[in-house]
Amino acid sequence: MSSLAEMATILLAPKDRDPVLGDLAETGASGWGALGSVLGLVVRQQMELWRAWQPWVASGVAFAGSVLLLSVSFGLSVDSRHLLRGERGYGSVLCEALLMLSWAWTSGFVVGSLSGKTRWVSGILCAIPCLSCVLRFQDNSLSRLCVLLFLLPGVVGAVQGVRRARLSPMTALTLATAMTALILVWGGMYMQNWFLYLPAWWLVAHAKRSPPNEKVAA
Amino acid sequence: MTKVPNYLHNAVHIMLGEFEYVLITVAAGLGECAYGAAIREEIEKVAARRCSIGALYTTIERLEKKGLLKTWMGEATAQRGGRAKRMVCVTPKGLHAAKKFYEAMMRVSRNASWATGKPGRAS
Repeated sequence: MSSLAEMATILLAPKDRDPVLGDLAETGASGWGALGSVLGLVVRQQMELWRAWQPWVASGVAFAGSVLLLSVSFGLSVDSRHLLRGERGYGSVLCEALLMLSWAWTSGFVVGSLSGKTRWVSGILCAIPCLSCVLRFQDNSLSRLCVLLFLLPGVVGAVQGVRRARLSPMTALTLATAMTALILVWGGMYMQNWFLYLPAWWLVAHAKRSPPNEKVAA
Repeated sequence: MTKVPNYLHNAVHIMLGEFEYVLITVAAGLGECAYGAAIREEIEKVAARRCSIGALYTTIERLEKKGLLKTWMGEATAQRGGRAKRMVCVTPKGLHAAKKFYEAMMRVSRNASWATGKPGRAS
């Protein structure tokens, strides 16, 4: 059997590696044939994941969420500059910052909890608009990295989403209600911002469906 | 008013795909000897069709998720380069689903020309 096929099995789940290599050895497959068989399995396993709705929702949230949060991050950077110049109040910028943090965290949480093994696709879909925006950034008075302010809370949310999958109903409801109250206080009720609430209310709806004895994040 | 009969009680709860049915049938036939390479060889021999490792393992995975198959790691042999086998066992639920699929196919084929031996209409 070719060492290429053995190397390619790194793309498989650990539990699949031995049986697949053993089957190939038993049937006498070698060289390109063995490599093709392993890669065929990898492709099929990836395609199989997309038969479920979860990766599609996660990809949509990752892409649309990052596009919207790029502009939110930019808006927050501009407003912070205004705050330093005394043209803006602390309260308004604080609300905006808290909203950006919570939008990014809840979006990341939903992406992390729904992506499963397709999280690399969600990562790419989030990275594409980020890279595009950073490379085409034209405001010389601000660092081009200012549009990426949402990335850290988003990644933290995604990691927690992978680990926990869902929040307790009380936590999810408190978070979504607090976020809705914040936007009412802040006054930034633009249509694009309402889309960013969907992950938070999704977490509420998803938490409600969990069985009472299932382990959920506090 | 004519009452429409309710046939829903006859519905197959887990409708198998054709390849899923072939895999379950072959695995059930092999019994305790059912594992990846043996199933693949049997499918190629009996069904006279090529069976790739990709098709085999993704279908095993899907059937296991549906609760129709159970798998576990078996022994390693020198013939396999010291690699373990992934043993496969059909669950009672899997046997039931295969039986339902078989019965449904028999019912559907009842009046087909290839089943009755009578010449059929071709468009």
